[in-house]
Amino acid sequence: MTTPNVPPPDVRPPRPRPSRPRRAVPLRYRVPWKKIVVYTLAAFLVLYLVLPFYWIFAMSFMREVDAISVPPNWIPPHPTLDNYLSFLRPDESQALVGGRAIRETPFALGNSMIVASATALLNLVLAVPAAYSFSRLRFTGGRLLLIGYLITRMVPSIAIIIPFYLMIRSMGLLDTYWALILSYLTFSLPVTIWVLKDFFRAVPRELEDAARVDRCGWFRTMWSVFLPVAAPGLVAAAVFSFMTAWSEFMFALFMTSTEAAKTIPVVAANFATDMNTQFTLMAAAGVVAVVPPLILVLIFQRLIVQGMAAGSVKG
Amino acid sequence: MDRRSLLKTAVLGLALPAMVPLAGCAGPTRRGAVRFEGWDYEAQLVQQNVDRFIRLNPDVEVDYAPITSAQFIQKLTAEFMGGGGPDVLYMYDDSLASSVEARYLQPLDELAGIDEVYQAIYPSVAQAMTYQGRRYGLPYYTDSQALIYNADILAEAGYDTPPTTLDELEEQALAVKRAGLLEHPIGLPAQLSDTALMWIWALVYANEADLFDEDFQPVMNLPGSATTAVLDWLLRVSADSQVLDPASVQTLPVPMDNAMMAGQYAFTIQPRYSLRNYNDPAVSNTAGAMRLAPIPSIDGRTEGTVSNSRMYCLNLETDVQEKAERLLHYMGGLDDDGSPYTARFWFLERGLGFAFTDLADDPEIVESLSTFADPEIYAYLASVARARSVVAVPWYAEFEATLQRTVQQVFTGDRTPAQGSAELERAARSLARRYE
Amino acid sequence: MNGPALIVLFSLVAYPIGYSFWVSLHQQNLKRPDDTRFIGLENYFALWRDPTFLSSLRTTGLFVVLVVSMTVVLAMILALVLNESFLGRGVLRSLALLPWAMPGVVNGLMWRTIFDANTGALNGLLTDLGLIDSYQAWLSSPSGAFFLTAFAQVWNTLPFAVILLLAGLSTIPSDLYDAAKVDRAGVFQRFRQITLPWLLHPLLIVLILETMNAFRAFDTIYVLTGGGPGDATSIIAVLNVRTALTYTDFGLGSAYSWVITAFTLIISVGYVAALYRKGSFEV
Repeated sequence: MTTPNVPPPDVRPPRPRPSRPRRAVPLRYRVPWKKIVVYTLAAFLVLYLVLPFYWIFAMSFMREVDAISVPPNWIPPHPTLDNYLSFLRPDESQALVGGRAIRETPFALGNSMIVASATALLNLVLAVPAAYSFSRLRFTGGRLLLIGYLITRMVPSIAIIIPFYLMIRSMGLLDTYWALILSYLTFSLPVTIWVLKDFFRAVPRELEDAARVDRCGWFRTMWSVFLPVAAPGLVAAAVFSFMTAWSEFMFALFMTSTEAAKTIPVVAANFATDMNTQFTLMAAAGVVAVVPPLILVLIFQRLIVQGMAAGSVKG
Repeated sequence: MDRRSLLKTAVLGLALPAMVPLAGCAGPTRRGAVRFEGWDYEAQLVQQNVDRFIRLNPDVEVDYAPITSAQFIQKLTAEFMGGGGPDVLYMYDDSLASSVEARYLQPLDELAGIDEVYQAIYPSVAQAMTYQGRRYGLPYYTDSQALIYNADILAEAGYDTPPTTLDELEEQALAVKRAGLLEHPIGLPAQLSDTALMWIWALVYANEADLFDEDFQPVMNLPGSATTAVLDWLLRVSADSQVLDPASVQTLPVPMDNAMMAGQYAFTIQPRYSLRNYNDPAVSNTAGAMRLAPIPSIDGRTEGTVSNSRMYCLNLETDVQEKAERLLHYMGGLDDDGSPYTARFWFLERGLGFAFTDLADDPEIVESLSTFADPEIYAYLASVARARSVVAVPWYAEFEATLQRTVQQVFTGDRTPAQGSAELERAARSLARRYE
Repeated sequence: MNGPALIVLFSLVAYPIGYSFWVSLHQQNLKRPDDTRFIGLENYFALWRDPTFLSSLRTTGLFVVLVVSMTVVLAMILALVLNESFLGRGVLRSLALLPWAMPGVVNGLMWRTIFDANTGALNGLLTDLGLIDSYQAWLSSPSGAFFLTAFAQVWNTLPFAVILLLAGLSTIPSDLYDAAKVDRAGVFQRFRQITLPWLLHPLLIVLILETMNAFRAFDTIYVLTGGGPGDATSIIAVLNVRTALTYTDFGLGSAYSWVITAFTLIISVGYVAALYRKGSFEV
């Protein structure tokens, strides 16, 4: 795979003067403008992306006194694991209020993992055939249907939260994983279909044709030829829907009420409201809420980004 | 591992945790259990108290669920709308009227022993729990707003008595500021929230004035209105003398408590019970220096403040009526020996103001009170406090939101005090029309 | 083959969506249960007469423009940088995904500790750098709160856009650039003539989804400012939640939601039309 050579648009690299013969240039020393620009931008972007998170990360290892000191401590002066340990031993926690949220954090993490994974998986199962049909077949009303999917996503979730709550309640699913998985399917399925459709389009048709010549059935073709090639797209789509489910707050708040299904944003909100203000615990809860999806993303990032390219350039 | 097998492992890895628990996931709510919900203040202590109730009533199961306080009302809306409201729940006096109108709540007039409870509590609390002649709640706690000041800081600035007028408050704060003790000596919790901005009501009530008359007609925009004068003062201390911290508009009550305990402010207006933590050396740097005072008024000739009440209510349609009533009585009523166990519990644990008049003379309560506040001023504040009568309109929540927004706009200079009062009147009238 | 997805989606959202539209045509307030009746478009007219709604419309418009443009520009730069080969690219690619892992509520919490007037990191940093003399209450001025809220929102939604754009970038055949270089096309020309046209598809999705997100941004704003100070950050989504769930006015609340839907739809159509003119483009 070759990386296309796109200089960043901001700075114009020096162009060789037209009068000079091109061959003379390499002998002279040239300022590597492009490298400078790329590295400078990269450095800024790292700061932008990481600094905010670093602050709560550092805070989560501090004692409360150090966390609220002025001027701030950029590095924990007395590093401690107490904030994290209090999730495991809630009764010994120093927190004056919010003890309940501390106790619920480990459960919520598990619930979030389960709900988000199941959402991602179901998304793929449902979206792959649909996206495949949009990328390969021309059928009447196809474009309309595709737009229709997106329109369901344009209705704000707050509009459907009450009727959805009624539905879930009548199905007896309140405070279960299914309540959340079903709600998140409605959010993420349209987007997943759209994203997958684009990835699938980039998969060369010849692959399937070859398989068909070998008399593979459609399912065989999909499973052993098409999907592996489109795998990076699948991973990306799965991560999209995983994140949607992981971050959602309103539905989770309404559909769950106990640690049987409460997810991490709902518990984290307890640290956010007027009842609890211990910064370090809040920070630790924030870090805990971010780490699992982050690990997932890190594992998959190669596949997501590079794979996308690999799957599509040949088109 | 090549890419394909990595992927397949990954898919399996995702699928396993997802599918295993799904198999056996039935709703955890137990049939026949009393569902009890409240905002998440001290949820562990509530659970402790609920556990004691269960020990005393082995035949009753209670599922207690604390809800993020910022979304408490919103979640109740969804639950009741779906016909699945909790059997027993907390209620703000602010939201009682609208909850009754929405048919969430059961009148308790028939409840055994209700008369004894209502005779044992302060009349203002009884009034706050009564709507259109019917009684809907048993008291959780009630408290009055007070001026809370740091006596050490005041002493350093040369004052040994707290201010009685708003001008004095500004003057003392300026002295603190000039002495280089604090940049912004006054802090007020003025962040937008679903519950009332009690200090603005307290400042108006200190002048024996109100924002509404007895018929719920807005009077805050009449000539000489105390509301406009209070907003004037607010503008002065935020824009001119700058003794009021601009960060106030982003501060909720509990962060304000933390700031007081860290010694960041000399003055604030908070409920009396805050003082218990402020003067607790285990959690506060300013313990011992924090004092109560009546709310300063415009001319110092009047005195008053506002009180609010929190209560326990019963779902209009509960399947476990008898058990829920027992829980209700345990939480908000009287024991067999006639004493309010839970009300005592909350005072002794957290200093939450009690609704039962007799507790004021209870030796254990008096002893606990004297560790954090001057009992005389504490009782005096209760005696001059009035409840907001306007909470009895169904559009109170909408009005309160406008009030908070307007106060913030005066703070930030987006509206003049006169415009602020005019906006409040306009909003009140248009809301009243909509709910006619 | 659309069967499964269609059935699931339809059975899950058809009733809620239909219901909410139907309710928006009614006077329906939980606090007045006996006064529920069909009033046609009256809720929508009521919105247009409501000064709070109109001022929030302006705020929302500015917020969406600010958030979407900042997201697209930053995401484009980030994607272009990540598409270069340089030392530490893998690390930066991973880091670029970090904000994505953060739930909106936690994002709001994080920025609140950063912007805090008394102990915030932003104050500390600017003081250490000598840029300010004393701690500022950043979220206390209407404009400060507005910009910082938008900033926090952008940080959170950026990775999604980056991923899509980066995927788009890597589909561009590199021989196109080589050819353009032979033609002595400048950096900007190459960007306009090759990169942009190839990016139309991902760009459209980014624009539509980010616009949608910005219109319904709630979690972060709610935790950070609650819509204040005054009404500086009360965008329609915040009013929507408050009207429906706090004031229990479902008729009006649903009307709010449908106004948001209509705006997103119109803007999305606008994007499609604008991009369509830019080049051969199909959905």
